[in-house]
Amino acid sequence: MTTNDSETVVRFENVGLRYGLGPEVLQDVTFSLAAGSFHFLVGDSGAGKSSLLKLIYLALKPSRGLISLFGRDIATTPRRELPAMRRRVGVVFQEFRLLNHLSAFDNVALPLRVAGVRKSDIQKHVVELLSWVGLKDHLDARPPTLSGGQQQRISIARAVISRPKLLLADEPTGNVDDRMAMRLLHLFEELNKLGTTVIIATHNSHLVKKLKFPKMHLDEGWMEIVGADTERASVPPTSEPGPGGGLFDDGDDDGTRPDLEKLF
Amino acid sequence: MFARRSDLLLDKDALSRFLPWLIAFMVFLAILAMAGMLVLNATASRWDQGIRGTLTVQVMPAEDPAKDDERLQVVLSVLAQMPEIDRYEMLTDDRLLKLLEPWLGPAAGSRDLPLPRLVDVELKTGADLNAEVLSRQLAARVPGTSVDDHRIWLKRLVRLIQTVEGLATLVLAFIALATVGTVVFTTRTGLDIHREAIEVMHLIGAQDSYVAGQFASRAFALGLKGGVFGLLLAVPTLLGIGYLAQQMDSSLLPDITLGPVHWSALAGLPLVVSLIAMVTARITVMKTLSRML
Repeated sequence: MTTNDSETVVRFENVGLRYGLGPEVLQDVTFSLAAGSFHFLVGDSGAGKSSLLKLIYLALKPSRGLISLFGRDIATTPRRELPAMRRRVGVVFQEFRLLNHLSAFDNVALPLRVAGVRKSDIQKHVVELLSWVGLKDHLDARPPTLSGGQQQRISIARAVISRPKLLLADEPTGNVDDRMAMRLLHLFEELNKLGTTVIIATHNSHLVKKLKFPKMHLDEGWMEIVGADTERASVPPTSEPGPGGGLFDDGDDDGTRPDLEKLF
Repeated sequence: MFARRSDLLLDKDALSRFLPWLIAFMVFLAILAMAGMLVLNATASRWDQGIRGTLTVQVMPAEDPAKDDERLQVVLSVLAQMPEIDRYEMLTDDRLLKLLEPWLGPAAGSRDLPLPRLVDVELKTGADLNAEVLSRQLAARVPGTSVDDHRIWLKRLVRLIQTVEGLATLVLAFIALATVGTVVFTTRTGLDIHREAIEVMHLIGAQDSYVAGQFASRAFALGLKGGVFGLLLAVPTLLGIGYLAQQMDSSLLPDITLGPVHWSALAGLPLVVSLIAMVTARITVMKTLSRML
């Protein structure tokens, strides 16, 4: 895939990563992702998917090579400017990483708070988004009191609340059945249509085959992008919308696809 | 109390419960040290003002007691001609005996004891009178007369007060250092306890100052809480010491009561300690987080 720097959201050049003195878990990874693209990140367990995502969301430094994000070389970007870059990246962590002492509302509000958004705006957006993901009745609930699926929805809401330019999701469908997984993908696809670049790391080969988005395939630390030239498929509507026809079982929206323009 | 909302669970830390107590004890000690310093300072100032501008002329008793009055009159006439002198007053025998009583006991009342005559001299404000010159002048007219301008006494007093004040300042400095050390330790422990939450905040784009602000705000609140408690402990202690000192009714003890200005300074100490805690916590967090990516 060749793109201009101005349109490139993520660029890796000969990136290698090793933990301590161990073997390289990523070797000579080179790719670039255009703004508004949608990719699955696939590979066997231990292939380095999570490590690759960590490099993109700036949780790790590469052992070698060059990474640029939104056209800026990470190695030469002053540390004080990294938080602003991170705010443009939404992350759905594999293990959710919700703050258990905070309510669902406060967890989702966190990215807005750290960005200095006004309290009244936070209140409005967070309540709307949590209502939309079917957690209107759980605004004050602490994550440990919620099911895995509900926690996952909070995690996704937290990742998308600030309308990120880049969305990274590590096994976002790992805790839900295929039907729910498909519904979650609607959300990511709608965000993608609004211009967000999306990377989803998944083991769910069923979804990957069905949706025909390009795949970033990792195998023992080496990566190749396959299917980039394939015509992009749209996520098919779910056959069984939940009560009220919402994206989630207890959602309030009228269709299977969220209207994100209204939501944000 | 006092803290703004926090994204971190700082309230529930065991260390958060422990810090106010430590600060309370430190503030208690700091207030005692500072009160001592203020009292000494005020006392020294009072003594200094009282002594400066005064002289004591001592006329030794003559071999022939009948000449004592005559000698004294000569001295008084010399003093009366000095333009620098505002007023002078001869100490009566009764007053002299009363002053001697604490040292000599009832024997001081014996009229057989040869006592010098003392004249208390008060100089005009800003007057520059050389005590040595006056002493020589008087001794020439009345042998055995001397002038004491209290300089030696004043010098020793000032040296003593300065030493004690220096010690009190040292105590305050140690207390400030101990507060800083305690806050650094509790903040670092807090950072370890909340590492996971801080990492998440960091990854969603929180500036170091955002996280540091939460720790600083908490440290300020805990510092103020502990400080106010320390002040509440110190006030009755100081009042108790003041009461005991008054009960002693001794002319040897200076007046050790604190004025409104002193009380205000002491009441401000908890705020100073909380500000130290706040700044220390902020610097500690900023320094620790700067090592993260």
